[in-house]
Amino acid sequence: MTGVRRLQYAYYPGCASQEVTKEANWATRAVAGALDIDLHDMPSANCCGAGLLTDYDYELYIALNARILAQAEIMGMDIMTICSTCLMVMSTANRDLKADPVLVEKTNATLSKVGLKYSGEVKVKQLSWVLIEDYGLENLKRKVVRPLKGLKTAPFYGCHSLRPSDALGFDDPEMPTSLERLIDVLGGDIVEYGDRTKCCGFQVDLVTEDVALDMMAKRLLGAKDEGGACVVTPCPFCHVNLDSYQGMAAKKVNRKISMPIFHLAQLVGVALGMGDDELKLSRNIVSPEGLLERIGIRI
Amino acid sequence: MIPRPVIKNVKFKIRRYDPDSKGRREPYWQAYDIEIKEGLTVLIALLQIKDRLDGTLTFRSSCRSAICGSCAVMINGFPKLACNTQVLPEYEKKGEMVIEPLANHKVIKDLVVDFDPFWKKMEKVTPYLVPKEGSGGSSRMTREDADIIERVQRCIMCGSCNAACNALEIDSKYLAPAALSKSWRFVGDIRETKKEKRLERLSEDHGIWSCVRCVHCTQYCPKDVSPLKAIERLRAEAMKAGITDNHGAKHVDSMVHSVRRVGRLDEATMTFKTLGFLRSLGMIPFGLKMEMHGKMPRPILFPVIVGIDEVRKIYDDIEAKRKKD
Repeated sequence: MTGVRRLQYAYYPGCASQEVTKEANWATRAVAGALDIDLHDMPSANCCGAGLLTDYDYELYIALNARILAQAEIMGMDIMTICSTCLMVMSTANRDLKADPVLVEKTNATLSKVGLKYSGEVKVKQLSWVLIEDYGLENLKRKVVRPLKGLKTAPFYGCHSLRPSDALGFDDPEMPTSLERLIDVLGGDIVEYGDRTKCCGFQVDLVTEDVALDMMAKRLLGAKDEGGACVVTPCPFCHVNLDSYQGMAAKKVNRKISMPIFHLAQLVGVALGMGDDELKLSRNIVSPEGLLERIGIRI
Repeated sequence: MIPRPVIKNVKFKIRRYDPDSKGRREPYWQAYDIEIKEGLTVLIALLQIKDRLDGTLTFRSSCRSAICGSCAVMINGFPKLACNTQVLPEYEKKGEMVIEPLANHKVIKDLVVDFDPFWKKMEKVTPYLVPKEGSGGSSRMTREDADIIERVQRCIMCGSCNAACNALEIDSKYLAPAALSKSWRFVGDIRETKKEKRLERLSEDHGIWSCVRCVHCTQYCPKDVSPLKAIERLRAEAMKAGITDNHGAKHVDSMVHSVRRVGRLDEATMTFKTLGFLRSLGMIPFGLKMEMHGKMPRPILFPVIVGIDEVRKIYDDIEAKRKKD
């Protein structure tokens, strides 16, 4: 992309991808590097609250998210996150702030105590949106050196990259296409199934575990029964549930599942020809190695 | 010159079921071809099908104006009011017109579902105000006091939120968004005297903490009631009232403390604080598997973010305001 200004983002990987799903963070950095997308760290950014802060105090939730947005505003960049929940939580705060001058005033009064101010200039985006809207699918296609031919991939959106759509607004919540478009460009086969826009259960893993396990099993079996060999998700929380908890979910419903789950960046990275050093597929609980070998890809 | 309206032939695929029929007793699909003029709603189309093509097709409807809440059905997989959805834009966008009875509800016949569980849950949350005895007559309310419950009063009890609810899909005992929105109508009312009692009951199993935050209810409510917002407010009020001896409130509490302490989500501590010692022991096999893949969250010495002082100052500022209230 000579002559074109490099894409720059304030990079907000989210808490999960700095700990339990580190591989998503590493794979994203590798993919961004290969595509000449500059990700600028936000070392002093706090947690968005994952929706839970809202259940404690709405104003605290807004103020802490405004702090993140204000930091990106100072950097002069939009935020790119790789977590659907961070995306939804920050975007909803952003929507509320943009719609309510009284809230902005209150929030900025709090932020002024730490020398910050938010003026509403920042957009929050997800990796998939950046690849499609800012980088461009045609450009991405040119970078594919190892098409995922024969990889029957079920896209799993989950909740927070789609709803509430008045705060997010990239995909149509009833008929999203972003993951399908990406799978297509990467050369994979799209698997159609019913539950792609439903909940993985993550928010209640520790609250009503039985409900969460049934949910995971339903989503995974829905994809498997339609011929899916693997799942790709843009959200690390969905990944934890569909991958790490998969064994427990399978046991709960007494069915064999064995579906590898890719973080979006991992799937892109495989098609860009990257290896395990960069993509850390070996950290995934359900190994995708055998599946990739069957379609002639050695990581 | 009046422009000629667009007219299209649309195939309606309708889910049918009649347990009392002499013939087919299993649910089945039936297709109807019908000419649709621009601007016609799904409800008008259903009435025309019933009128002209098949008098046995059964559905509920009444006001035709999105006020009575009778005609909610699944349109191409999502709950909508038939009277509030135009056929052609929906058909052109999705390429089909599939009509099914509301999900998460037992079907009685064709598109008519059993609302008894819906009303039972409504009854469970005491859907009326319990004011101070002898207060009678009128009482004064500020604009803000009224605003906080304005949205939930728009509910027309159509059942769309419950049909979309992912928690109800798995747990049929869950009170679900419609009844929880109704709860906020009274918990949020300054005249209510049984607020704490209500919050205690709502904090029991299958109550406010069973919401999975899938945001479907808020997305598909035809009256913009925003049930998720009501659930969040109920949770916040329950915590404020000190009703915190449950996994849901402990989960939130550990998040609130984690962000204040380290600026981030400390997963290991959160698991321990939410589940308590005994249930955390049950997570050991899971933890070992995670450890083998380098995925075990760090339980101690969790790194603190740069600028944690700023985060704590924000907390202090908000906490000071909370105390003043």
